[in-house]
Amino acid sequence: MPDSVNTLDIITQFLFYLVVYSIPLLYGTCGEITIEKSGSLNLGVEGTMAIGAIFGYLAGCAADNLFAGVIVAFVTAALTGAVFALFTVTFQANQNVTGLTITTFGVALYYFMGNALGEKWPVFVNSKKLVGSLESINIPGLSKIPVIGKAFFSHNILVYLGILMAVLLWVYFEKTRQGMRVRAIGENPGAADSLGIKVNLNKYLHIMLGSGIMGIGGLYMGFNMSGTFEGSNCWINGYGWIAIALVIFANWNPAKAILGTFVFGFFKTLAVYYGTLAGSFPNALGWLGKIPSHFFAALPFIITLVILIADSVRKNKHSNEPAAIGINYYREDR
Amino acid sequence: MGFHLVRKTDIKIWQIALYYLAGIAVSLILGAVLLTSLEINAVDYYKDMFTAGLIGNRFPAKTIENFFVSFVPLLITSLALALSFKMRFWNIGGEGQFIIGALTSSVIALKCPNMNPFLILLLMVITGMVFSGITGLAIAFLKTKFNTNETLATLMINYIALYVIRFIGDTKADWNFFLREDSVRPKFASFEENARMPYIDIGGYHLQFSVIFTVLIAFGIWFYLKYTKQGYEISVVGDSSKTAKYAGMNVNKIVLRTMFISAAMIGLAGAFTASSSAGVSANITNNVGWTGIIVAWLSKLSIPGIVVASFLISILQYGCRIASASYPSIDSHFADLLQGIILFSVLAADFLANYKIVRRKETDNA
Repeated sequence: MPDSVNTLDIITQFLFYLVVYSIPLLYGTCGEITIEKSGSLNLGVEGTMAIGAIFGYLAGCAADNLFAGVIVAFVTAALTGAVFALFTVTFQANQNVTGLTITTFGVALYYFMGNALGEKWPVFVNSKKLVGSLESINIPGLSKIPVIGKAFFSHNILVYLGILMAVLLWVYFEKTRQGMRVRAIGENPGAADSLGIKVNLNKYLHIMLGSGIMGIGGLYMGFNMSGTFEGSNCWINGYGWIAIALVIFANWNPAKAILGTFVFGFFKTLAVYYGTLAGSFPNALGWLGKIPSHFFAALPFIITLVILIADSVRKNKHSNEPAAIGINYYREDR
Repeated sequence: MGFHLVRKTDIKIWQIALYYLAGIAVSLILGAVLLTSLEINAVDYYKDMFTAGLIGNRFPAKTIENFFVSFVPLLITSLALALSFKMRFWNIGGEGQFIIGALTSSVIALKCPNMNPFLILLLMVITGMVFSGITGLAIAFLKTKFNTNETLATLMINYIALYVIRFIGDTKADWNFFLREDSVRPKFASFEENARMPYIDIGGYHLQFSVIFTVLIAFGIWFYLKYTKQGYEISVVGDSSKTAKYAGMNVNKIVLRTMFISAAMIGLAGAFTASSSAGVSANITNNVGWTGIIVAWLSKLSIPGIVVASFLISILQYGCRIASASYPSIDSHFADLLQGIILFSVLAADFLANYKIVRRKETDNA
């Protein structure tokens, strides 16, 4: 048995990394919720996050400023969203195809930029001010709590920003008039239109807002990878797809997305960390070591599939899936 | 005051074709700009790409063979996806269905090392088709019975299947007959000679049977959609499932049947690929499940269009891999970038060809 201090450290460390590796999912998920609430299904999360990640990272390093990086990540990803909106809202192109193309394009752009810059790719640690801005901020009082203090209340600014963003989105969609209007578009754009709600304008705005949020999540993933360009594996590494799954798990609710992020993030972290846990607690958690990491990696998708099927079988009245999701709104067809 | 869109009614097919060609030309020019920004000679690069490096190649037969190994699965998958898209059933589970087909057919290949080559190929194909088809059927059942969102359901299965094949490929164990026994590190076993795709030797060029079958399949699907009752039913369901119901068609049955065929064909592509490459690997799909969606859409779900588009996209992908090899500043992902640009340009061209923007008068505002 390891001594007790060491044991607690391992738990703290596990929970700390759980938060660190989960938060990008929260950005991706809340971004996608924002888009789906306005009635569009954007399968371009992976690509949008990749685009925000590269340009945010390059700008952040060039300016040696975290704020610049976040703004550029948001703006470039929002512009990617504008492309999605242009094609699906104005050009009436199929949403699935457009989203998938954005994913293909965005991930390819990541490789293109990385290969093109080669030796000139900026080194993360050389951007001293940027790295400094990402140091953990202790929340006074709370961070002093044993075990969970360091795990949950001592994180970089982007973690807090992510939680704040999710809470604000929840307030927006559940408590404000404008948020209700957007939900009306997602449920029945024709009816919303006849109530005088500007359908296309709102779709554009929310697709761009949601995409921008995803972009910040992508940038965060780049920081998690220490900004090292990898020629064989994109930074986003499938998180965009998990985010799409998580929207269903969170039942299109940004507040539940915070919880869902930690559930899915738990499996993601376990997939990396289960060996350490099994080794540190051979009696209690030794069995973990026998489960393949692939199982934990696949679990978010398995759970989502089960929820998706169960909800439709039970005709779940509590499901908040927007009714008009995935269907383009063509005014003349009304 | 604002603008609104009006569908053009008098558009001719050659006009659409012209818009499409213009869209592709614009994409290639954009690609050339990107290449030039990397100080790569775009003319040289495109020449290598479009000829797949055949000019000045001492082993052209091998290049053509390899090209067909990547072309066959893309064409079959795109055709299969088009079948489901024609009913507006969004099967985006090509990746997963492909893996299921490849993996289940490889069980036959690895377990029957002494079987007759033609019999084993037949068995592999049937196994791959049945297992993949059942997956598609299950989703179609959920869709017709409970209105489960098929886009999201098939998407989830893609990733579940991916982690299953990765798990098998990474796990050294007694039960795991998928891996080589003589290797310490986990490595997928190669098929014995009998499970490898048979071929006809034409003066040093090996024409694999899968290529011949693929041509037959493409022709068969074209015939099926154009001249059979079932093919007609698919198009009616796609236009409007209400119309189909009023016409007395059993819409659920049509959806179930078509989705089974769609997924089974993708399973077939998986089995073909496993046999052609004499084994499976974690990235055996080569992204055809995703690329197939783009191909099907580029072709507006027309079967002859899919044959042409999948051929061109295969050249693009295969050619990019070869052309990029000579430059350190670019890799084969450039094909995906170009593919994305092409699809966007063509979608835009399609819009411009089919709609016109009309200024709305103040008075007829909603």
